[in-house]
Amino acid sequence: MARAIKGMLIECDPSIKSLVVRIDQDYRDIVIEELDDTHLLIDPSKLTFIKKELNRILADNAYNPFDDEDAQAAAVLG
Amino acid sequence: MSTPQPPGSSNSQGDDESVDFFKSTINEYLDNLPESVHQQLFQSRETCLAIFRLLPALSKFYIMAVLFNETSVPYSDLNRWVKSNKNSEFKGHQNPTKIYQNDSIKRLKALHILKEIKRQMIHPITKQPTVIIFVQLNEIFRQSFRDALTGFLPDSTQDQSKITLASSKDDQQEKTTSLDMMFDDDVDNSITVDYLDRYCLAKWENILHFMVGTEIKEIPSVGALTLLRFSGLMELPSDRERREALDGQVDEDIDYGYEDDNKKSIHTLKQLLITKTGFQFLLQDISSQIWTLLIQYLIMAEKLKMNPVDVLNFIFLLGSLELGQGYAISMLPQTQLIMLDDLQDYGLIYHQKDSSVFYPTRLATSLTSESSSFKTASAAMDQEISQPRADKSTNSGSIIIETNFKIYCYTSSPLQIAILNLFVHLRARFANLVTGVVTRESVRGALRNGITSTQIINYLETHAHNGMIELAEAEYNKKYEFESSIGNTTALEQLKLEILPPTVVDQIKLWQLEMDRVQAFKGYLYKDFNNDFEFEKLLSYGEDIGVIVWRDRTKRKFFVSQEGNSQLIDYANKIIRNSSGTPRANTPA
Repeated sequence: MARAIKGMLIECDPSIKSLVVRIDQDYRDIVIEELDDTHLLIDPSKLTFIKKELNRILADNAYNPFDDEDAQAAAVLG
Repeated sequence: MSTPQPPGSSNSQGDDESVDFFKSTINEYLDNLPESVHQQLFQSRETCLAIFRLLPALSKFYIMAVLFNETSVPYSDLNRWVKSNKNSEFKGHQNPTKIYQNDSIKRLKALHILKEIKRQMIHPITKQPTVIIFVQLNEIFRQSFRDALTGFLPDSTQDQSKITLASSKDDQQEKTTSLDMMFDDDVDNSITVDYLDRYCLAKWENILHFMVGTEIKEIPSVGALTLLRFSGLMELPSDRERREALDGQVDEDIDYGYEDDNKKSIHTLKQLLITKTGFQFLLQDISSQIWTLLIQYLIMAEKLKMNPVDVLNFIFLLGSLELGQGYAISMLPQTQLIMLDDLQDYGLIYHQKDSSVFYPTRLATSLTSESSSFKTASAAMDQEISQPRADKSTNSGSIIIETNFKIYCYTSSPLQIAILNLFVHLRARFANLVTGVVTRESVRGALRNGITSTQIINYLETHAHNGMIELAEAEYNKKYEFESSIGNTTALEQLKLEILPPTVVDQIKLWQLEMDRVQAFKGYLYKDFNNDFEFEKLLSYGEDIGVIVWRDRTKRKFFVSQEGNSQLIDYANKIIRNSSGTPRANTPA
């Protein structure tokens, strides 16, 4: 007979999914099962942690106009 | 996510959509009151007058038409009084006049002002008995409203009407017992209309400033803060955590939160944060803001076992008082004395401690009037600051936003600056101008506070500078001419007036989408089915009852939502019992 596993289904873009998998490699015990390109089964208690990590990683990749200006200002001053 | 609907709200048809949250103003509140409460309300003529003022124009007309008509009027007459514009460009059944008329009558019926009576009549020509529907004005309403209009003071109701309208001069001379006591003419003259205006604005702006999180010297009172929290305009960090944990299923739990934290100290309440509804609240004009708070106050008062009739009567009474006139508090019943303090917190009333006189402020006296004396808080603030060029300064039309996300806002109102600060990275401030940039971080900050991208875009659009609008219109006309010259009708239909640069609008929306990159569902994953038959049977049942979130036929796996799981297990057990004859537990590990 079939088995049922308690967990949390996550639906996201493939890019986000791969990020979650990467987070799982670093921290362990997050992903229970990879279902397909856009779905993952995870430990329900880890959801907030994943969201926080995702935000951190995505923020690193985002363009911030002030960084440029600061760099310019530094260049002018230097 | 749904708006936290206030507890005890009798607002049954009002959707939880946050837009409707503000539309469900006093009218809806009144409509949903039971008939017995309406009857009690109608005994006060200030209330009758106030209700009358709040009605649509056609409803007013109907009331006036039947007010001095002792007999009931056939329903069909109501239709005859209205000219139906058959020749208008509106074709088909969607006749706006008809809809308006229906709405007007519906309102009157909901308020129990008009009653329908069916009567058997003999048709004059055919001599057949037919049923004709008559309408009749509510007796109590008729009496009170007549008195209100004529200024008639019957002895029997004198003790009920503590204050009559001070509008007609003869009336004032006639006034005998109670009115003389009510007016306090020899009060201290320092309290002028100007002073009251300044006072109420300061109070009200203070609350708004607190909401946007400006550093202010004087924090609003516990009462005002409790109301803000109760109405869901602001929330404590702990409320937010709870709400996020529940993920959308807010409604009941907000009540709870209020119940057990009834007596939060000022220190706790100082940490209140603005919510999504709170942000929308800030964008309303001042009269709807006040009504929103007052309705929440009514609901809260009901919970505190205050008589809603007394509360409503007092609110409506305030609407009929004269600005700059002092009124003695000795005539007010207990409930209304409590309200005096509360309403003072919101700036609706000026009342010095231990003084026997209170003054209604402009906020209170303009409650039921249609022409709002001041449009928005920030507009009023603009006027305060720039007295000499008061005529020119309007609140709308001050924001310019460029395609490079730079934003310029011609304003000197601290409140508007504070609102902008919610989602703009402000960089420089000049005498009449602030500049800033809309950045990912600034927008995310707003989104984290529960403000939506649509709200930001709406705010920018409604406050766009005239130059922006002219530019957009010119652009629109150019495109329109071009598309119509080449006869591209589909493009013509899709043409929109774009006041804000589309790049900015899209980007703000994208930033919001970015906020929730993952969607999560709690539940159970079913796998390791022995055969296709078992799998298909369970899956199709699950799909029939709509609990399957995800499925993969080739791998024989599916995911069931938490709520639907027990039903599915029951079904699975039934199949097993039927097939093997021996019941077997199949609870998930």
